[in-house]
Amino acid sequence: MAEPSKGLLRAQEIYQDRSQRALELREQGKKIMGYLCIYPVLEMMTALDIVPYRIFGDMREPITRADAYMPSVNCPFLRSCLDLGLKEKYDFLDGIVTSHICDVGSSLSGIWNYTVRTPFSHHIDTPHTLHETSLKQERGLLEDYRKALEDFTGHKMTTENLKKAIRVHNEQRALVRELYELKKPDPPLISGVETIRVIKAIQSIPVDEGNELLRDVISEVKERGDGPQTKSARLLLWGSILDDTALPEMIEGLDANVVMDDTCVGSRPYFNDVEVTGDVIDGLARHYLMDIKCPRTFRTRDYNDVRKDYMKDLEVRFSYLSDYARDWKTNGVILESVRYCDTHGYDVPGLRDYLDNLGIPSIYLEHDYTEGALAPLRTRVQGFLEIIS
Amino acid sequence: MVLIYFAGIDLGSTMTKVVIVDEDDQTKASVVYHTGAEHRRLANRVMEESLAKANLSIDDISFVMATGYGRINVPFADRQITELSCHARGVASFFPHVRLAIDIGGQDAKGLKTRDGKLLDFVMSDKCAAGTGRFLEVISAALGLKIEDLGDISLRSTQKVSVSSTCTVFAQQEVVNHLSEGVPLEDVIAGLHDAIAGRSARMVNRLKVEPDVVFTGGVAKNVGVVKALEENLGCPVLVPEEPLLSGAIGAALLGKEHVLKALARGETIQTGKRRLEEATFFK
Amino acid sequence: MTTEAKPRALNRLQSMYALRAEVDKMYEGGVEASEEGRPVAWVMLEGWSNAILNAMGVNTVFPENYSSLCAAQGVATPFLERSEAEGYPTHLCGYARTCVGYSSRMVELDGKIPPEAPAGGMPKPILLVASGEVCDARFKWFQSLGRFFDAPVWTIESPYPGLRERLTEGAHERNVNFLINELKAFVAFLEKLLGKKMDWDALEHTGGGTNEINRWRWEINELRKARPGPMNTRDFWSAVTAALFRGAANPDVITKGFERMYDEVKERVNNGIAGINRPEKYRLSFEGLPPWHSLGFLEQLAERGWNFVIESAYRPPRPITIDLSKYSDPMERYVRRRYRRLEDSLEEDYGPEEAGLIIDEILCDGVSRRMGLRHIRDYQVDGVVLHVLLTCRSTSAGLNLLQHRLLDVLKVPSLVIEGDIIDVSAFNPAEALRNAETFEETMDHYRKVRKELGMPW
Ligand SMILES: Nc1ncnc2c1ncn2[C@@H]1O[C@H](COP(=O)(O)OP(=O)(O)O)[C@@H](O)[C@H]1O
Ligand code: SF4
Ligand SMILES: [Mg+2]
Repeated sequence: MAEPSKGLLRAQEIYQDRSQRALELREQGKKIMGYLCIYPVLEMMTALDIVPYRIFGDMREPITRADAYMPSVNCPFLRSCLDLGLKEKYDFLDGIVTSHICDVGSSLSGIWNYTVRTPFSHHIDTPHTLHETSLKQERGLLEDYRKALEDFTGHKMTTENLKKAIRVHNEQRALVRELYELKKPDPPLISGVETIRVIKAIQSIPVDEGNELLRDVISEVKERGDGPQTKSARLLLWGSILDDTALPEMIEGLDANVVMDDTCVGSRPYFNDVEVTGDVIDGLARHYLMDIKCPRTFRTRDYNDVRKDYMKDLEVRFSYLSDYARDWKTNGVILESVRYCDTHGYDVPGLRDYLDNLGIPSIYLEHDYTEGALAPLRTRVQGFLEIIS
Repeated sequence: MVLIYFAGIDLGSTMTKVVIVDEDDQTKASVVYHTGAEHRRLANRVMEESLAKANLSIDDISFVMATGYGRINVPFADRQITELSCHARGVASFFPHVRLAIDIGGQDAKGLKTRDGKLLDFVMSDKCAAGTGRFLEVISAALGLKIEDLGDISLRSTQKVSVSSTCTVFAQQEVVNHLSEGVPLEDVIAGLHDAIAGRSARMVNRLKVEPDVVFTGGVAKNVGVVKALEENLGCPVLVPEEPLLSGAIGAALLGKEHVLKALARGETIQTGKRRLEEATFFK
Repeated sequence: MTTEAKPRALNRLQSMYALRAEVDKMYEGGVEASEEGRPVAWVMLEGWSNAILNAMGVNTVFPENYSSLCAAQGVATPFLERSEAEGYPTHLCGYARTCVGYSSRMVELDGKIPPEAPAGGMPKPILLVASGEVCDARFKWFQSLGRFFDAPVWTIESPYPGLRERLTEGAHERNVNFLINELKAFVAFLEKLLGKKMDWDALEHTGGGTNEINRWRWEINELRKARPGPMNTRDFWSAVTAALFRGAANPDVITKGFERMYDEVKERVNNGIAGINRPEKYRLSFEGLPPWHSLGFLEQLAERGWNFVIESAYRPPRPITIDLSKYSDPMERYVRRRYRRLEDSLEEDYGPEEAGLIIDEILCDGVSRRMGLRHIRDYQVDGVVLHVLLTCRSTSAGLNLLQHRLLDVLKVPSLVIEGDIIDVSAFNPAEALRNAETFEETMDHYRKVRKELGMPW
């Protein structure tokens, strides 16, 4: 038998055929748990030896079956996920965990239960604000989730195992950050396209295997001589789900490198650790409700303050992005969103105000989650590059 | 190497435009062709024709800059740059004080915020045909009219109708309905022009309209749309003598500037292989 | 030219006009308050904040309603365009974009109400109260208004659990406590903002009054089961806004208004008078939010004998007496009066037997096929119109599934009409009317199917 591939090649293999490893593991008797978006607490799955497997769509596959169950005015990413479910592409899953990311996401969980009927399902009604009460609520919801997983596996989730799981996941977060460090030099040691492949790969395999893959990738890209070339523009990419390399491929085919991102198949889930608190669930609740900076959460400077200061408010919501821009030396930001994503759409004017104020040029691109629809965006991106360089 | 001539080729969705300028930015030749089915792959022909017109051979051209929808696949181009930058540069050569340029071509509409020929910001319409030259082509064909005549016809209108549909197919239905209800042709056409101009005017709002405003692209040849655009924007709109050419002229000038900059840095200029082959973009 | 005046196809309720007028008064009241220096808040439709704000003496105006008013009067488009010019994506909610355009226009006028604003306009707010209830993108909308106003935004959290998760042991009490604490935090914030204390007695009144209104609305809906249906959905939409937006501010007047409406509907039932002036050929239900700019479309459908006898949105809950004697904390009383255990409300709505079946479905599948279909059966509906909205994800997402369930469970077909709450250009009335014509055959067909299956209608 041939040596199993490693590093970037391995990442690309998994990227192209995501379920291969999950299917093997299932053969070996492991439970595979699908999850949608990044809010279903993965540590709890790992603690019970369940393999977390993120649900993605496929922008290269036309949506044919989902039309009957979800109107076309809804997020095409979610529609595509459902479409794949209806086409039995997710039949190997033992269960699915969803959360209240946005309304359509929540609706999808009901529609999925009705139509795809994965054996186990659980929905976490993640609150939307950072109010003190919300944190308490999230904590309670995670207790329910824990119980549901315990019933599902028939095993107790010990605090010890949960702590262990948090440590491996934190290790994964640290490794991803280490990988992103390698994007700071010019040229970056790893391209935006390769990054998506790696992240998508680690979201398709057990966490320890993901960590091994990350270690391999990190040493490989440090050593290789044929990494990305220097380009005129170093870009930061912000936006909604990007689970395909098509967009960064188009961008990096022009005179630009995508050196940093804030998307959920990118840095977003990994840039903060979970604190191992005395009460473990507290730390998890805090992390998943407060630390992950997806626009689905309502953030404000101090929710109890009766005065309001727009610029300071923007600062609280978006300053991490200006840190990224500074540390990764980017000279422009691409704001990207799949059409019909209200969650990201409402943030666009404010985020652009913030960036304008800092003198950071930005452009907003909207696409309908099909590969073909990306071509017309090329002129916009190239025009933007012509402006900033 | 003696620098003399620069060519710009704007391979648009509907029209292919070539301009050759000399070192004093004077236009030596310009040719416009339909990018229609049979000419699709024949950008080289258009190039050859302009060379012939200018009495030059391809080797006399120091730099070929390609732009437009099909820019990436012009095999004899030395470099390609978006039509956004090219129009910005091109219009400034006719109207140095331009702040906002609106280009409505066959397939899309663009608003360009510009200063001193430089592109500062832009907006572009979606892939949808409504609000573009294509929309006028479809409707004029359906009505058996020549596209060149729409402008003059609409000027006779005394009471334009409103065409509210944002979709080409629905708008066509609406037009037919109006006509069957006995609305005079000129009022319907004026309504269409208003719909197109209104769309573009709304789109460029985000760029904050400041004079001078210049209107380019094939649709700017239509006096009816020019008038409607002035009404919608509430300010005068300037149109170059040949609005189709501003992209190609801009491309030629940007090519020249690119060469001069490189030479000033002491670099030698890498030019393409200069074989006049067919464009391969439209398969 | 003279034409014989044919009576309009819709038979409007007289009692509706007074209720509708109350909504216009809301804007006049808001402007007056603002001029007198009294606090005005922009508020979203949701279950909790309205009564609290009114108990605190805050004038509430509702941008969602205001946007629909702009659409109904045909003046929404310039606001939509302005929102686009402000860089807001065009797929966002039509209510939100109208409001963004309005706000941007206000800024242009140094905070003054735009002269073109209908109904006197919405004055500048001192507070924006957002919510994620039903549609959670809404809090993003109010947050983004920060570009235009210095008013702080408070987002009310309320639980929105999955069905099965709602039945989990302990979940209900947790949700109740979440709400209580959340609303108390809101009150504390208001006290700080307004520099005054909450009037808890007033809350008993504003909160209790709404229940009285709901009771009348419920009774009216009960009457609507009659054949022919005595009240068309058009009147429902015209009147419901008074309950939703003025119920807490002016409970006595609104209660009276619905009581009158009850009398009028009852009179119609006694005399066999329908909500349309044509023979009732088809009884329909309207699912989703209506096209506010084209409500006249219902007139055209009524012309064909279509009577929309019921609708899914804003249906009042069954009035029940809840024993609150155990609870002395006024916020707890307020919450427990409205937030019920799923098991309890199912049992009240469906009776123990069917409720049991529904709960079994939920526990087994996480979803229920039957739930939410009761009105279709009770009102003996022949067909359902599903209004899929271009810019509203939340009310549209479940409609296709509903279409399947209606057919599976009740053999009732549905017609999908695409449009929008605000954007006229998303709606093609000619096409919709054509589809409606063919849909009649489908409704006829399923009448037979139901008959063969021995179903009661
Ligand atoms: N003589 C003319 N009179 C009026 N309209 C014209 C004329 N020539 C071209 N057009 C319009 O211009 C459009 C093409 O414009 P152009 O700027 O060349 O587009 P592109 O760059 O996309 O090819 C055509 O669709 C047509 O509507
Ligand atoms: S960015 Fe979108 S897809 Fe990702 S976690 Fe947030 S809501 Fe989900
Ligand atoms: Mg062009």
